Amino acid sequence: MSNSQPTAQERFINGILPENPTYRQLLGMCPTLAVTGAMEPAMTMAAATGFVMISANVIISLIRGLLKPHLRILIFTLTIATFVTIADRFLAAYMYEMSKQLGSYIPLIIVNCIIISRCEICAAKQGVGTALADGVGMSLGFLLGLGSIATVREILGSGTWFGMAVLPEAWPDWGIMVLPPGAFLTLGLLLGLVNWLGNRKKSAGTP
Amino acid sequence: MSDEPQKGGYIRQAWLVIILALVYGAALAGTQTALGPRIAENKKNETFHQIPMLVEGADSAKTEPVTVKGKDGKDQVVYRARSADGTFLGWVLPTTGQGFADRIDVLIGVNADVTKITGMYVLDQKETPGLGALITEEDFLKQYRGISTDKPITVVKAEPAPGQILAISGATISSDSVTDIVNKTIENLKEPIRTLDTK
Amino acid sequence: MTDSATTPDRAPALHVAPSPHLAQTAFHTRGMMIDVLVALAPVLLATLLVFRWHGVVQVGLCVLACVAAEAVLCLLMRKPIAVGDCSAAVTGVILGLSLPATAPWFVGVIASVVAIGLGKVVFGGLGYNLFNPAMVGRAFVMLSFAGYMGASAYVVTDSLDVLTQATPLTMAKQNAAAWAAGQIGPENMPEGLADIRQFWPLFLGTVNGSLGETSALAILAGGLFLCLRRVASWEIPLGMLVAGFLCAALAQWIKLTPLTALQFMISGSFLFGAFFIATDPVTSPLTPWGKFAFGAGIGVLTMLIRVLSGYPEGVMFAVLLMNGAVPLLNRWTIPRPLGAK
Repeated sequence: MSNSQPTAQERFINGILPENPTYRQLLGMCPTLAVTGAMEPAMTMAAATGFVMISANVIISLIRGLLKPHLRILIFTLTIATFVTIADRFLAAYMYEMSKQLGSYIPLIIVNCIIISRCEICAAKQGVGTALADGVGMSLGFLLGLGSIATVREILGSGTWFGMAVLPEAWPDWGIMVLPPGAFLTLGLLLGLVNWLGNRKKSAGTP
Repeated sequence: MSDEPQKGGYIRQAWLVIILALVYGAALAGTQTALGPRIAENKKNETFHQIPMLVEGADSAKTEPVTVKGKDGKDQVVYRARSADGTFLGWVLPTTGQGFADRIDVLIGVNADVTKITGMYVLDQKETPGLGALITEEDFLKQYRGISTDKPITVVKAEPAPGQILAISGATISSDSVTDIVNKTIENLKEPIRTLDTK
Repeated sequence: MTDSATTPDRAPALHVAPSPHLAQTAFHTRGMMIDVLVALAPVLLATLLVFRWHGVVQVGLCVLACVAAEAVLCLLMRKPIAVGDCSAAVTGVILGLSLPATAPWFVGVIASVVAIGLGKVVFGGLGYNLFNPAMVGRAFVMLSFAGYMGASAYVVTDSLDVLTQATPLTMAKQNAAAWAAGQIGPENMPEGLADIRQFWPLFLGTVNGSLGETSALAILAGGLFLCLRRVASWEIPLGMLVAGFLCAALAQWIKLTPLTALQFMISGSFLFGAFFIATDPVTSPLTPWGKFAFGAGIGVLTMLIRVLSGYPEGVMFAVLLMNGAVPLLNRWTIPRPLGAK
């Protein structure tokens, strides 16, 4: 079994596209839907999640030899919760406005299933180097997922990107895109697009 | 292990959890000690930064919180606004109420004898973007400035008389809500504040 | 595509096709849609008389945009272009008739593209869609451009007198609180409120509102034609009217609103919704009792939204909500076969 584990490089690549947490695994949907109304909160969320994911992966990988099977989830949760609290306090201290805007979604990173699944699938079984690569790859994949949805929603919904005007002043803001229905619509359409592209590539590869 | 999970006692099973909990606890305590004051400062600033806009000439640093018992019998914090040289200028009343979508948090500035509104600021709201959310705009909020607190403020849809608020077009409920919050707060705190020390 | 499994060499014994399911084989989607267009003719005429060129522009724009969107999207999805069945044109007319007279051009166009794209094509085309396409499009622009679609958007300065008055339901909503508190009553009504409580303007349609919803007379004429032609199932409008009337009567009785139950029935898009929107065969149940319950659900939800929410009108959201309940209603109301226990 251990021979078939992916290498660090494969882990890294997998996280970004082939096993993208948003578009392939459909994990972490709560922040994906809730904070992608604009780029700034989406990127802050992706960074906070990435920090927690990478840190938890490294720690769990370091202590993987000591884990007892029936206590491992408890230790995962404990580790993740610690880093989430650190991230939450950090945002409240240095990015107060953003921390207020993200509200309960930062503490909710604790229950983000991407992180616990990475601990279980990769960090608890593989070395520190691989776990780090996996955490970074998955974080980038999550960033890509949130970023793509937030880009569509912010541009259509507010005519801006990272708060900078990108569409002409006359653009009528599509209010629905910054409201919850816009999140579902954008996710669904982008998911369809990614699947369509994926299928096309697959059928092109095997004529 | 699968047969007798308790074999060897709890400590042998859980020592890693206990040690990790201690290490993490220490790390979090450290984080809180390092960042706590800054966070508290941020929270205070959020309100205090607005004070010069709410009570003209007031200085954030000289303003202090006071607890007052409202007519409804509940204790409430208000801010006594002073200028840089310590002269008493007026009050800032933090308050909250139900809007169209969710709670709206408002700061109301009033003059020293609570007869006039001197400024308004919306701290937090989740009204409809593009409509109700316009309550945070200066164009809407400036209407409240200078209104007397003698009688409740009313909202109209066109041609406001002095002392009336022109509703945001398409967002009458949000406009009503803000005005309602102001009316209730003034009504609740007007008399109690007048009894406070104004030195 | 030489796979024999996908292309059988003879016609299947049982042909499975998406709804609308039709009893007579000669009676195709196209014929049905043409019937709907015929039934809409009196409504369009009323719109023309009340809103003049505003109506022509808005409805024309929506029809063009819907048909164009259908053609382009079918092309993109590599499907046969289904414009010929006229369903896109019907969606366009109904959508156009549900918009305010003076909504800017892009509102109608975006609503049309969303109606056809998100409302129909992503589900697989006509017959597979879960929600009424015209209402999906309208809900999208309603939530996007509240400034152009909300109650205030209906009242504009215009040479047409009708456009300068508040819509009946908005007027009712604005006065509801004072009415409930007893500050105003039948004796001392404000002028605007007294005006909209007149029967004939509401019945004939000389009041403000969405383009196609104002004239109860025209809608009843077209709607009854549809029911007689069996294109629309009479159970749906009946359920909606009965349930809506009962709720409205209750609201009137406990003095929640200044409108009477009858006025509620003939104001806003209640009738238009009952006969032309809710009766879409694709997004309504198949069984008679299911249809009645579907209509009744729309009637109740519409009145709940009208009386208790911040919105003056609720037909659109009520239809969309009940569309979601259609599979459940179908399952609950399967008719018992004759002789079964």
